[in-house]
Amino acid sequence: MEVVSQPLCTILFATRKRSLLIPKQIPNPSKHFPFLSFRATILSSSRVSPPSLLFAAPENQLSVGEGENTDASEWALQDFYSLRRDVEIMLQRVEEIRESSGLQLLEQELANLEEQAADISFWDNRAKAQNILSTLADVKEKIKLLNDFKTQVEDAETIVMLTEEMESIDRGLFDEATNLIKELNKSLDRYELTQLLSGPYDKEGAVISITAGAGGTDAQDWADMLLRMYMRWSEKQRYKTRVIEKSPGEEAGIKSATVEVEGRYAYGYLSGEKGTHRIVRQSPFNAKGLRQTSFSGVEVMPLLPEESMDVEIPEEDLDISFSRAGGKGGQNVNKVETAVRITHIPTGVTVRCTEERSQLANKIKALSRLKAKLLVIAEEQRASEIKQIRGDAVKAEWGQQIRNYVFHPYKLVKDVRTGHETTDVISVMDGELDPFIKSYLKYKLNMSLSTSGVN
Amino acid sequence: MKLTLGIAYCPHSFPKLLNCFSFGSLGRPFCSSAPSSSPTCVKPQVPLYLRPPIYSTKLCDLKKWHDWAKGLSFSIGSTFVQSDNGPDSSMLCRELKWFMEDAVEDRSLATEDDEEVTMRVDIEELYSLWKQRVQERRPFQYVVGCEHWRDLILSVQEGVLIPRPETQLVVDIVSDVVSENEDLRSGVWADLGTGSGALAISIGRVLGNEGGRVIATDLSPVAVAVATYNVQRYCLQDKIDLREGSWFEPLKDMEGKLAGLVSNPPYIPSEDISGLQAEVGRHEPRLALDGGIEGMNALLHLCDGAALMLKPGGFFAFETNGEKQCRALVDYMKSRSGSFYNLEILADFAGIQRFVIGFHQ
Repeated sequence: MEVVSQPLCTILFATRKRSLLIPKQIPNPSKHFPFLSFRATILSSSRVSPPSLLFAAPENQLSVGEGENTDASEWALQDFYSLRRDVEIMLQRVEEIRESSGLQLLEQELANLEEQAADISFWDNRAKAQNILSTLADVKEKIKLLNDFKTQVEDAETIVMLTEEMESIDRGLFDEATNLIKELNKSLDRYELTQLLSGPYDKEGAVISITAGAGGTDAQDWADMLLRMYMRWSEKQRYKTRVIEKSPGEEAGIKSATVEVEGRYAYGYLSGEKGTHRIVRQSPFNAKGLRQTSFSGVEVMPLLPEESMDVEIPEEDLDISFSRAGGKGGQNVNKVETAVRITHIPTGVTVRCTEERSQLANKIKALSRLKAKLLVIAEEQRASEIKQIRGDAVKAEWGQQIRNYVFHPYKLVKDVRTGHETTDVISVMDGELDPFIKSYLKYKLNMSLSTSGVN
Repeated sequence: MKLTLGIAYCPHSFPKLLNCFSFGSLGRPFCSSAPSSSPTCVKPQVPLYLRPPIYSTKLCDLKKWHDWAKGLSFSIGSTFVQSDNGPDSSMLCRELKWFMEDAVEDRSLATEDDEEVTMRVDIEELYSLWKQRVQERRPFQYVVGCEHWRDLILSVQEGVLIPRPETQLVVDIVSDVVSENEDLRSGVWADLGTGSGALAISIGRVLGNEGGRVIATDLSPVAVAVATYNVQRYCLQDKIDLREGSWFEPLKDMEGKLAGLVSNPPYIPSEDISGLQAEVGRHEPRLALDGGIEGMNALLHLCDGAALMLKPGGFFAFETNGEKQCRALVDYMKSRSGSFYNLEILADFAGIQRFVIGFHQ
């Protein structure tokens, strides 16, 4: 049984919604799905969804589909419907991308740059001229790419329209359109990825640290739920995870935990998860089941390979302490306590590693996490950020949250920044985070586009 | 499980033992110089994580065991901490996680409850091992048969002292000393009372390929067998020579020739033994812990021997029970007028004065 990542399921679901139009369940058209497909979310977004009327009886439709014989022409017809739908979706997607990439702005910029290049005094400042020319080339290239997307999807559309008129299916044309869509999908994924994930560390793995906010057992349980959520999400992305620090709460849950997520773009996707996450629910820990609000802080750092971190930290800037077994130590005690805590004295940034089985291993791990933190600080170059990035980073309290998870009295997960929301709390807690991640990345891109547009 | 050990522990990994004592299988003492030792041939146990994954169990059964083990660990609370500074529940849970890592081949492969998980030990054995850990206070390292120490994974078993994190500092000290002294780097070092071979192996690695060697001794045949196994696992047979015998006895040929000498000898005063943490007092070898009335018997013996065995400019580092012993040792060495210089007391990571180091005149 093929294991599919969640976005694909979203597709199948969307397919099912639509398939009332068609006599039979349609095989999934795109097998080449990237691990985090942006298309999937577009599909499930309300703009593309069919009228809710059609959604009313999916089971009926299913039973109709299963009982019938298949003959070649019917399959072909289905394939065609499926293609037509793909093309429709693709048209939307291309339009969306062209819009979100600020095509108009780009064209303005192009005109502007060309004007400058045509100026008589253009070559007076050679370095500046070179710079302008290379920007010009970049902008041209980008516009061309965006236009190519459009041409390609329109080609596919033409084939669909032609086929409809001809009332028979030309296999050659059909294959051509299918391929077009397939290729286009790939290029769009690639394009979106480079657009959305273009930060210096976005390609890297990530280190997620979760810290329970004030509020005792409820908050600690919440921190544990978040840990599970991110583990599940990572599993779905086929990322490798490793808990490198975990301190259990007294009664339940965790006080804190740190997880390494290994895999391409993990940091890019997860970086927007940094912040305070708030839960509203009936407390399972007090007898009256009162409604309770708890907070947990999530901090995300890039997981950088040792060799890429050419940060030299002077030994005297480090305060390294090992957990003490207590008592007389040495031969008198046998405790597998190996925790290491390193504080970077100048910035106060502290990391702690407990899950490795030797002190040395914990020390190495802690040092490399510390370096990663310092790198990010250096990169962001803003003093105010240091506060946020350091240790208990995110203030796990009211008014600071990036996302609310309401379990009771109604069900809703809503991202405060992007406004993205869903009522399916259970799925979200099961790691169904892609829509949130994607909408945040888009939001971030739009923000940066609008600021650069002003300039 | 016994069968596995026999298979996994194939004789070819012990060329030395077999060459020297091919009659070992006949049940004779495997080292002729230790007639007092037990008459059976000592076979080092293979650490759990290196055993072949020939068992399998349903994921749901494994989960059931895990829940049971976790429950057992949590039932402890801080009882052990209060009684003898033993582990608390959260530490036991951490051990449990490591135990799983060692015992189960790859848990992530199974996701459904009725899927099979391959393991290195029978599920029944898991129950009894964890019971031993919690109820009998058997040290975790004996349960899994290994200890992660510095960058090494050392095989350990009953009869061999589990290397302590404090002792790791000795390696750092030696590493510092040899880095600026070519003579010491290419000389012969001795690790007396080597136990699992932790110091000998680490120092062997620190010396690198510049001709330096290590001779490691231990009175206990179990320790010698386990250390030999560890040395072989790190392919240092050519660099480390293991000799069975008491302290300097097997080193008669090295008089005045040693470049360096390290030891973590038994240093706990006899009267403290009964009050030790159960994992230590009940399970670890008394031979490796009990240092006599003041705990200084072995340390003083080592001092005398060091004066005799070290070459001029030779270096030594000894671990002690703490400040009191360190001072006494330094006083003792100073009283041997002119034998040692640059004597120094160093603290461990917990700030306890732990090591005495110095050079031979």
